[in-house]
Amino acid sequence: MELLWEPFTEFSFMRRALFGGIALACSAGPLGVFLILRRMSLIGDAIAHGILPGTALAFWLFGLSLPALTIGGLIAGLSMAGLSAWISRRTGLREDASLAALYPISLASGVLLLGLGGPKLDLIHLLFGSALAVDTTTLNGMLGTSVLSLLLLVLIYRALALDSLDPLFLRSVSHFGALAHGVFLTLVVLNLVIGFQAIGALMVVGLMILPAAAARFWSRQLPVLLLLAALFGATCVWLGLLLSYYANLPSGPCIVLLAGFLYVTSVVIGPVRGLLRSFPSLTTI
Amino acid sequence: MIQCCGLQWGANGRSLTPPLDLQLVPGSLTAMIGRNGSGKSSLLKIMAGLNQPLRGQVKISTPLLGGISYLPQQQELDRQFPIRLAELVSAGFWRTRVSRRERQVRLQQALSDWGLLELEKQSLEVLSGGELQRALLARLSLTAAQVLLLDEPEVALDEHGQQLLWQHIARWKQQGRTIVIVSHNLASLNQKLDMALMISSNGCIFAPIDQFSSNCQTLEEVA
Repeated sequence: MELLWEPFTEFSFMRRALFGGIALACSAGPLGVFLILRRMSLIGDAIAHGILPGTALAFWLFGLSLPALTIGGLIAGLSMAGLSAWISRRTGLREDASLAALYPISLASGVLLLGLGGPKLDLIHLLFGSALAVDTTTLNGMLGTSVLSLLLLVLIYRALALDSLDPLFLRSVSHFGALAHGVFLTLVVLNLVIGFQAIGALMVVGLMILPAAAARFWSRQLPVLLLLAALFGATCVWLGLLLSYYANLPSGPCIVLLAGFLYVTSVVIGPVRGLLRSFPSLTTI
Repeated sequence: MIQCCGLQWGANGRSLTPPLDLQLVPGSLTAMIGRNGSGKSSLLKIMAGLNQPLRGQVKISTPLLGGISYLPQQQELDRQFPIRLAELVSAGFWRTRVSRRERQVRLQQALSDWGLLELEKQSLEVLSGGELQRALLARLSLTAAQVLLLDEPEVALDEHGQQLLWQHIARWKQQGRTIVIVSHNLASLNQKLDMALMISSNGCIFAPIDQFSSNCQTLEEVA
């Protein structure tokens, strides 16, 4: 049992990564649930890639400063979402196609920009995360982002839920739908930007989508889904950090793979739409 | 009151009909008929303020928010959405200021009016098409809207459901609400409605409904 706590009591950097990661999971999971319900799961992926050139440019210009990296990432992520929406609106092409076309471009330009910046920043750490990267400033950023996200999510909850189910009806009774959508997208970008330090730019979207996707196999109630997604995410952060500590692996892939394992397990045994569910004869054996 | 002045609508800048001028008074009940793709649903969405026309304008003498209720075709809803029927119906309270207790009473009333009491805790996924349609109608009946725009409300409703629908429509009409219904079932409309608007690329005709029922086809050719 001690093995489950020891790294966190012994090393303060592990403690920071744990607290920051759990806080982030608590806000990223519920955001992921709404991403899936709004059929926007791909957008999360594209934004996560889109953040990279923004942070790389900020790193090149200002060095390793959290506010600069965050603002750079925010601007790049939001422009990514805006650009794909604009392209699909102007050309009539489906949005997933323009997103899929945009994110290799931003990933490639991000990696090139980092290369131009010199060897000061470890590319592997930036892409796949390192528990060591969570200093006190980053931890505060993660905690603050998490609290802010949850508060705003509570405020826009009703409008966002109705807008996801029946946007036409919401538009007939309220102008709040567009605002709720904007706030929601900003929160998604903010969570991805803040998470990339500890979990990695390419991995953080997994922490957002996988627990949410897994939760859908356990409940048909939106509040329960939101709670489960946060809980699943937090558990994966904790176990993933342990795995990365003992096996000496990058933290991001460990966390995301555990979430992936949870997802596959849910697909098989989940009581709602799980595979075993559709073969009643199998479950009785 | 709904007023259309020189209204033209369609996709990709191409208008589906010649300019439409039309006036629907409060308490009127109008059917909107026409072939598939003639632009009935698009016109309804423009009246609801959800889409923009190509030319001309729609004037509606009620506040745009909360004054108009629009019943979409139900295939636009995600049936896997994690929500219970009662929660879907109570979205009709949006923009109405009533106490929690009053809400509960009116929600129960609407659920029982539409025969949904036993289904209150079910998730959307397990509802039949007709049950979902009744739920959407129950939500609509909770709104205070003066203009009701219904896109094929009879679809998926069984005999009993259709009776409920027409009882409610009669009541809404008595309350002085303006109602527009898109429908294909001309034979059944004939008994219940006064006026019909035929949408056609040759020109729209607004006339008493019995003029359409006998020889719908020929009228469209004349137009």
